[in-house]
Amino acid sequence: MSAWAEIVGATHARPGGPGDAVDGLVPRWVVSPGSVAEVQGCVRAAAAGGLALVASGRGAHLDVGAAPHRLDVLLRLDRLGRVLDHQAHDMTVTLEAGCPLSLVADTLARAGQWLPLDPPRPATTTVGGLLAANLAGPLRTSQGRARDLLLGIRVVGSDGCVVVGGGRVVKNVAGYDLPKMHVGALGTLGVIVEATFKIRPRPEREEAVVVACPTASAAADAGLAILDGGVPPLWLEVTGPGELAEGPGCGAAAVVGLGGLVEEVDAGRELVREVASRRGLRTTIVSDGAALRGRLADFSVAPAAGVLRAATLPTEVGPVVETTVAAARETGVDVRCLADLASGIVRIAVAEATALPVLLKILRPALERDGGSVVLERSQGAVKAGLDVWGDPGPGMELMRRLKVTFDPSGIFAPGRFVGGL
Amino acid sequence: MLLAPLVARLRSIVGVEGVIDRPEALLVYECDGYTLERAAPEVVVLPRTPAEVASALRLLAAERIAFVPRGAGTGLSGGTLPVGAPVMICTSRMQRIEAIDVANRRVVAQAGVVNQWVSNAVRAHGLCYAPDPSSQPACTIGGNVAENSGGPHTLKYGVTTNHVLGVELALPSGELVALGGAVEDRPGYDLVGLVVGSEGTFGIVTRATLRLVRLPQAYRTFLAVFDSVEAASEAVSGIIGAGLVPAALEMMDQLIIQALEAAFHVGLPTDAQAVLLIELDGPVAGLDAQSQRVEAVCRSNGARELRVARDDAERATLWKCRKRAFGAIGRLAPNYCTQDGVVPRTRVPDILRAIGAAAARHRLRVANVFHAGDGNIHPILLFDERDRDEVARVLAAGREILEACVALGGSITGEHGIGVEKIDQVPLLFGPDDLRAMMRLRAVFDPEGRANPHKIFPDAKVCVETRAPRRQVAL
Repeated sequence: MSAWAEIVGATHARPGGPGDAVDGLVPRWVVSPGSVAEVQGCVRAAAAGGLALVASGRGAHLDVGAAPHRLDVLLRLDRLGRVLDHQAHDMTVTLEAGCPLSLVADTLARAGQWLPLDPPRPATTTVGGLLAANLAGPLRTSQGRARDLLLGIRVVGSDGCVVVGGGRVVKNVAGYDLPKMHVGALGTLGVIVEATFKIRPRPEREEAVVVACPTASAAADAGLAILDGGVPPLWLEVTGPGELAEGPGCGAAAVVGLGGLVEEVDAGRELVREVASRRGLRTTIVSDGAALRGRLADFSVAPAAGVLRAATLPTEVGPVVETTVAAARETGVDVRCLADLASGIVRIAVAEATALPVLLKILRPALERDGGSVVLERSQGAVKAGLDVWGDPGPGMELMRRLKVTFDPSGIFAPGRFVGGL
Repeated sequence: MLLAPLVARLRSIVGVEGVIDRPEALLVYECDGYTLERAAPEVVVLPRTPAEVASALRLLAAERIAFVPRGAGTGLSGGTLPVGAPVMICTSRMQRIEAIDVANRRVVAQAGVVNQWVSNAVRAHGLCYAPDPSSQPACTIGGNVAENSGGPHTLKYGVTTNHVLGVELALPSGELVALGGAVEDRPGYDLVGLVVGSEGTFGIVTRATLRLVRLPQAYRTFLAVFDSVEAASEAVSGIIGAGLVPAALEMMDQLIIQALEAAFHVGLPTDAQAVLLIELDGPVAGLDAQSQRVEAVCRSNGARELRVARDDAERATLWKCRKRAFGAIGRLAPNYCTQDGVVPRTRVPDILRAIGAAAARHRLRVANVFHAGDGNIHPILLFDERDRDEVARVLAAGREILEACVALGGSITGEHGIGVEKIDQVPLLFGPDDLRAMMRLRAVFDPEGRANPHKIFPDAKVCVETRAPRRQVAL
């Protein structure tokens, strides 16, 4: 204990308790460094002692990924919580890893800007967590993912050195794209301590239109027509049966977010109505589009035994949802579905843990055969036991193994949480 | 010298016509668009398929021979210069677009497919491939992936890495590995993101799965004329600050305007100090309102004239001028060298002043045509290769300009890559720990360092025979 206190100060190191558990594993210590130098000290100490370390912001997404093989130190980065530099006219922002997205949003909103990434739990989601878990929400449809907005990064590597990748300008091809290495790596290659993003002007308006549909396939079909219609929506989600109070009653829906100038929103609404009326579907306008988007973004953290995340082609989203719903009905299980149509991501919230292996067995082989995937995105640690959380990462696995061994030779960074037991 | 049996075995893989080893035929391959350094490979291999690339690489792996990948040779940083690598693998015969999925907006293209062909192949479906480097009628997808190429429209649409969903990579061992693919979010590390922009040092990209975007409903293309570069720069900041995201925001200075006018006679104002080429695109609905804001910003920053392209033909003319600007340079000087630096966009006036000062200090003429909205500068340093002193001054001025970019918080390359050209400037951006991390990453893919050796990393720079540059063929 005293070794940690020496690095971060006595008030910032304590023994771990049940409330600090990651997938049921209680860390021996919880350590909260207050500077990058202290993070380096912690990593060096972990490396010297062969200790396993999981980095965390405010703990909002520790249920993502496989259970760690070992856990000695939970490294809490919430004291590194500052907005370091907001260059409004350059449209860039540099943030400490522990900075919560709600603070980022408030800071940028004052300049009419935003970092258009909308994962669940924005108040407790930190920049480091956003990157490490590669979190995204409905805005992905038009704004891309963290990898598309990340300009530069600072990471503490397994030798305790700080490595810089990328920069602070919006266009940069100097050296390898090291930032990409850490996005979605779940902290298995280093501890992210700082990141610079490009930011965008916040749309002046945001509303949503709900298109009530008899089936998920009909909703996906209408959604694809809207995506092709010449007025790109800000976001577009397909909900499975019974998901949404607005509009559809107990059926499925295509939920279309419209953003931009008044004229653009008007044109978008017209397009959605036209696509709907051609199909004999009913539409409902939701004037507070951002609030509805926030609710949809929280889908994967709503109470459930587990959330599966299937990736397929946009044209297959309808059939995948239908297959899932049918399989669930057959096995007598409650599922809820929400799909990001343009990116082909279908989330399936499953009420009972026993149904997870059943659904994985039905969905995974078919999707993986076509280059897709099904991941157990979130669940309690007990549920993960005995399940293959990640599935087959494909032919890149050998390179990934080499990457892990190269950057974390003694396996101190979240061992076991990532694909293939990395 | 390579052994004759090895060359014979390469021929047995790619066919007799697929191996070039006559010295006079190799001259074409001794440089790319960066002509200040030259070195000819001993042999050029032109595979017809990804499988042939893999076979050739397996052969080289067994003999531990280094190689250089090459597409169309339009690169601007000497990335295809064969330094310590006797074999060049040229992907230009791998020209098949293998799959087009209109509904899902995906294309699978072999490495040698020309950038422009992709958009041509899908335009009838209302789609296009967004990254549009100026060399797009010639440059290849493989080269674009290697360099993470940009272009004018990347301001709104992003660069190559934002549009590549998957690659097939021939590792230096000769193994073909498919990374990513048509479906997004494959579990695992973002190996595709690492391969894009790795400048051919991880192996040879043989195929890529690309994301297509829908063509916008409409465009508004403006030419705004200014009496000072500062005023034009202020207008750039004003447009970005007004919350607008133009599809493109390009600046051209007086020297370029005059050269373009002499070449194309389209009525450009030759007495203007700077013009901005501004393009908005998207749904018809919002364009008028956005256009009004652009006009207001330009006027309030002293634009003396604002021309709007009235139809597709006028828009095409304006873009022809921009994209052929480098070709028009031939009228100004026998040779030129294009730099590629980046600054935070609000620092564009500062970097333009620094460029002007460097030019004055070294008694050089410099023309500027660049992606102002991204802060990505392209000063074009004019010279005559027969004047050795002038060549030295061009190199010195180029270095100083890149140093100024870094001092302003920017980068030494926005879209051309490090190659051999900028190796000496890399330490301005990255320290020993950063570079060590990059070299370790490289070893994950290429443990023996045989793929495009002596690029990117300062330690790797070896002496190349620098021959007198010859007259350049304009792009």
